[in-house]
Amino acid sequence: MDNQSRMALLNEKRSQVNLGGGEEKIKKQHEAGKKTARERINALLDENSFVELNAFAETRSIDFDMQKKKVPGDGVVTGYGSINGRLVFVSSQDFTVIGGSLGEMHAKKITNVMDMAIKTGAPFISINDSGGARIEEGIDALKGFGEIFTRNTHASGVIPQISVIMGPCAGGAVYSPAITDFVFMVENTSQMFITGPQVIKAVTGEDVTFNELGGADAHNSKSGVAHFKSENEDECIEKIRKLISFLPDNNLSDVPYLETNDDVNRIADNLIDIIPDDSNKPYDAMEIITSVVDNGDFFEVQEHFAKNIIVGFGRMNGKTIGIVANQPRFLAGVLDVDSSDKAARFVRFCDSFNIPIVSFTDVPGYLPGVNQEHSGIIRHGAKLLYAFAEATVPKINVILRKAYGGAYIAMNSKHLGADMVFAWPTAEIAVMGPEGAANIIFRKEIGNSDDPVATRNKLINEYKEKFSNPYIAAARGYVDDVIEPESTRIRIISALEMLAGKRERRPAKKHGNIPL
Amino acid sequence: MKKFLIKVNGQQYEVEVEEIKNGASPSDPAVTVSEPAAAPAPAPKPPAPQKAAKAGGGAVKVNAPMPGTILSVNVKPGDSVKKGQVLVILEAMKMENEILAPQDGTVASVDVSSGASVDSGDLLLTLN
Repeated sequence: MDNQSRMALLNEKRSQVNLGGGEEKIKKQHEAGKKTARERINALLDENSFVELNAFAETRSIDFDMQKKKVPGDGVVTGYGSINGRLVFVSSQDFTVIGGSLGEMHAKKITNVMDMAIKTGAPFISINDSGGARIEEGIDALKGFGEIFTRNTHASGVIPQISVIMGPCAGGAVYSPAITDFVFMVENTSQMFITGPQVIKAVTGEDVTFNELGGADAHNSKSGVAHFKSENEDECIEKIRKLISFLPDNNLSDVPYLETNDDVNRIADNLIDIIPDDSNKPYDAMEIITSVVDNGDFFEVQEHFAKNIIVGFGRMNGKTIGIVANQPRFLAGVLDVDSSDKAARFVRFCDSFNIPIVSFTDVPGYLPGVNQEHSGIIRHGAKLLYAFAEATVPKINVILRKAYGGAYIAMNSKHLGADMVFAWPTAEIAVMGPEGAANIIFRKEIGNSDDPVATRNKLINEYKEKFSNPYIAAARGYVDDVIEPESTRIRIISALEMLAGKRERRPAKKHGNIPL
Repeated sequence: MKKFLIKVNGQQYEVEVEEIKNGASPSDPAVTVSEPAAAPAPAPKPPAPQKAAKAGGGAVKVNAPMPGTILSVNVKPGDSVKKGQVLVILEAMKMENEILAPQDGTVASVDVSSGASVDSGDLLLTLN
């Protein structure tokens, strides 16, 4: 064989790899509104930045005629490239090759790029589009899953890990996305579930479609498994690139800096008008957030799940911050099982990656009800306390209005270690709402009065005047300053700069035991 | 002793209410607090809040997101509503929570009236 034919052989093999499962299957993929594995990578990464690894990997199974079905690449495209010039590692399952099923070498290619991502400290993005474990390869396929899960776990808190569901992701396969930091889904084409509609029908008799069971809507609004939902793959890829722009490369690097033209001394004089005079009236906390962050650019995470709390990323003077805000427009902004879970996970992500946390508090309390108690609001609510108390990144809290009782403590209070607590003049920081408090404290007085209703109202008003304000908390140092709402941006940026060098030591330990 | 006429889901109830003050004896001296029989007649229990099964017909059900009191119902059957329009104000957790239309449609039935107490998940109204 001369060199020319050696080159020809390489070219032939490469074009075979690039073709994946063949023209016909690629056509089918496109007809389903899906891109191929390679098209997805090319759209996600900066142009011409993708470098493929292990392109020639093949299954070594010979059971069930696997040697006849095998295709170079083994159903997954892996490698590295850049997003806005920053290194990322990717794996992208190729549904056109044996249904994207996961066999031994397929898994090995994925774990290989994961290991590289951990070694080099760069984010890992895994695009899922697979029928699941490759049954022909038996427990070697299971081994593959297990090794991916192990790396997901070891990489957790070291590099940001992003899962993108762009097709089926069923059975054991779902646990890799579940361990990662963010899960993206596309409407109509992506599903996640442990057991599918047929099994459910056979076992419980319930009729459910794939989409109702595990589509983008179900996991974004009901289960809370997914964090982002897009109408199509292009929109999804744009969102991933945007998310990456906020994230540091790893747990030892600083947050990215994006030069901003938004003045650090910008006065936001619309802020006070957002809060209604009557504290029983709702408003949209999103308006507060977008008025404060750089250029109003806020990237919400889990916007469809537990809407009574808002979490997401923004920038202050160019640097990424994580924002947690109660949303009075939904469920009065209460803390409940889902909102506690949502916020706690987000706070821990931020803490893992040195992203300062800014919270906006307006919380009437925990949601009462048998359902909440029996769903474990004690256990779930504890996560939020734990996450805030555990976090060592700069923690800033702005109390906008209500901050009552246990929920006041849970929402990044001074007592959980917040470095800076601001309150607006509209803040009501108290052990409980005036009505409830008056009923307990003045029970006898109200009971013995000739006109209990009038007495009660009078006492409620007295309590309100005396305690429903920020000044008692400020008098004790639980609030560092009561600030003019319009100066919120300036004060937060100043506090973030002051806290940039914050160091906090904790007792050495293996790891804590967060209530799960 | 005060008498109230209360309308729940179209059905009228006559309810007598008496406040028992701490230490003060009820208006009828013969009545002692310890005797349950002597306590003000309990109001006839309003029918359990209707669950989806007894819905007023519309395909889209709007349920109470949390326990509270209906402060006002801003629509009536036949009204056409736009997505995001305020249908009902539910007072809960010291907040006048706006219950919004999940989509465009016509109000098929209103299953609560203002003043009613609702539990989490109770049907408020339905849309077509």
